Amino acid sequence: MKPPRSNREFVEACLASGDAVRIQQQVDWENEAGAIVRRVCELAAPAPLMESIKDYPGFRYFGAPLSTYRRMAISMGLDPATSLPELGREYLKRTNGEPVAPVIVGRKDAPCKENVLKGADVDLCKLPVPLVHDGDGGRYVGTWHAVITKHPVRGDVNWGMYRQMMFDSRTMSGAVFPFSDLGKALNDYYLPRGETCPFATAIGLSPLAAMAACAPSPIPEPELVGMLAGEPARLVKCETNDLEVPADAEIILEGEILPDYKVEEGPFGEYTGYRTSPREFRITFRVNCITYRNNATMTISNMGVPQDEGQLLRSFSLGLELEKLLKSQGIPVTGVYMHPRSTHHMMIVGVKPTYAGIAMQIAQLAFGSKLGPWFHMVMVVDDQTDIYNWDEVYHAFCTRCNPERGIHVFRNTTGTALYPHATPHDRRYSIGSQVLFDCLWPVDWDRINDVPTLVSFRNVYPKEVQEKVLSNWVNYGFAPVAR
Amino acid sequence: MSQWEVFVNELGELAEGRDLELTIRTLDPGIHKYTYKRAKVRVSKILEELPDQLQVRFGRGQLSPQRYSIEVLEEVQRMPAKYR
Repeated sequence: MKPPRSNREFVEACLASGDAVRIQQQVDWENEAGAIVRRVCELAAPAPLMESIKDYPGFRYFGAPLSTYRRMAISMGLDPATSLPELGREYLKRTNGEPVAPVIVGRKDAPCKENVLKGADVDLCKLPVPLVHDGDGGRYVGTWHAVITKHPVRGDVNWGMYRQMMFDSRTMSGAVFPFSDLGKALNDYYLPRGETCPFATAIGLSPLAAMAACAPSPIPEPELVGMLAGEPARLVKCETNDLEVPADAEIILEGEILPDYKVEEGPFGEYTGYRTSPREFRITFRVNCITYRNNATMTISNMGVPQDEGQLLRSFSLGLELEKLLKSQGIPVTGVYMHPRSTHHMMIVGVKPTYAGIAMQIAQLAFGSKLGPWFHMVMVVDDQTDIYNWDEVYHAFCTRCNPERGIHVFRNTTGTALYPHATPHDRRYSIGSQVLFDCLWPVDWDRINDVPTLVSFRNVYPKEVQEKVLSNWVNYGFAPVAR
Repeated sequence: MSQWEVFVNELGELAEGRDLELTIRTLDPGIHKYTYKRAKVRVSKILEELPDQLQVRFGRGQLSPQRYSIEVLEEVQRMPAKYR
């Protein structure tokens, strides 16, 4: 099975596997669509394809596109039942290869050009921009999308998922943190010079393009999409600037980021499960052109309590990108995993504890990397602990992490405005603090006399006794269980 | 009569009896619902005093039980002309 090359192919694949449902009755863009998607996330239900939207005939919504590992597997062209560790191995295999350059196609081969609005026709309200949560600061155009920019000097392209709120018919505002790629480009170049920054927003991307926009990978996103998909991404030139956008996207917005004018943004229901970041004057996007497919489908992610695709996909890619980083430094990690329910705040690292200070080295690399601002807890466990099994990880944490020697706090680091535990001051200035939970037995403890023995069925009984008990389990009178 | 909404940190920002400059969003039905504009306005806690209605939300989206009437005196253009 090949990965879906567009959002439409992905929707069809999800419908075919039972991982999406078709909603034909009319849905209101004001709260109702958002409420459906929120409940889908909280129940891990099939993704809703909403085919009739109040006030917006001819448009559709697709909600919660990647909020389950099953849909993530479909997006990668795999069996929906593929296990999480196998998904991770596949991601690492594909993204450790050679970058795959995109191809540029002509306008006639780009469905996103089927409708073009320019000049006085530009009005964001012509799109079914949803009010995702009651009480949000506005209708959010971008919840599952890519904001596309190009560095003016280096020329490297950035696709990032920076939320965008509709302020008026041609203006959006969004949270762009100073440590993000776009934040750095704005602060390094555009804002000091007072120059506008061309941007394009692509909505209704192929799921792998969305995955690339979410992934904190050093590989340019258009090439990363090609690596993940196994074929080049198809891009097309914008109408009003020199950026290139996914040709199969459902909706494209083109415009400029303004260097000397800001409007209010927020509040918004965020991936942490709260509305945390304050309503602020934030980066402002002026829209000059809208293009969209016939019967365009707007994708909606509804962030809130776990689990939505912000948590699931971000946890997935952050963990795997950290695994690549640690392995590149020769650290004998056996795996890295973030449980989505941690709202990608806790990194669990499995390692062979072969030398002293290895947990500290891992934490310093993790927190000191580009990935660091997005999580504030690193928990290091040994290679005998199954990092995907929260019961085992929690047991290791509660029993092996010494309160005095195992907990190390890192102060005055980089944080985000979205951290619920941060003070209002720290949120405003992206000031963070981070913590390492070292759950390894110290290397200077005697393996025989000092390190406690784990008392579990698997660890303390001879293999032949285990086999005997397992093979007789039903005969003893118990219900069968998976081995 | 139109419906408007404003976000504030505290109700003290909505002083009565003088001109205020606020960022308000329309709650009137239609596709432009929830779009903003900057405007010079007057507000009153007496709901019948001014022609339009105003509801208030706080910084994290909480709806205030205190309602106001509002008169939009004029739109204020903050955006530099070069971008309009």
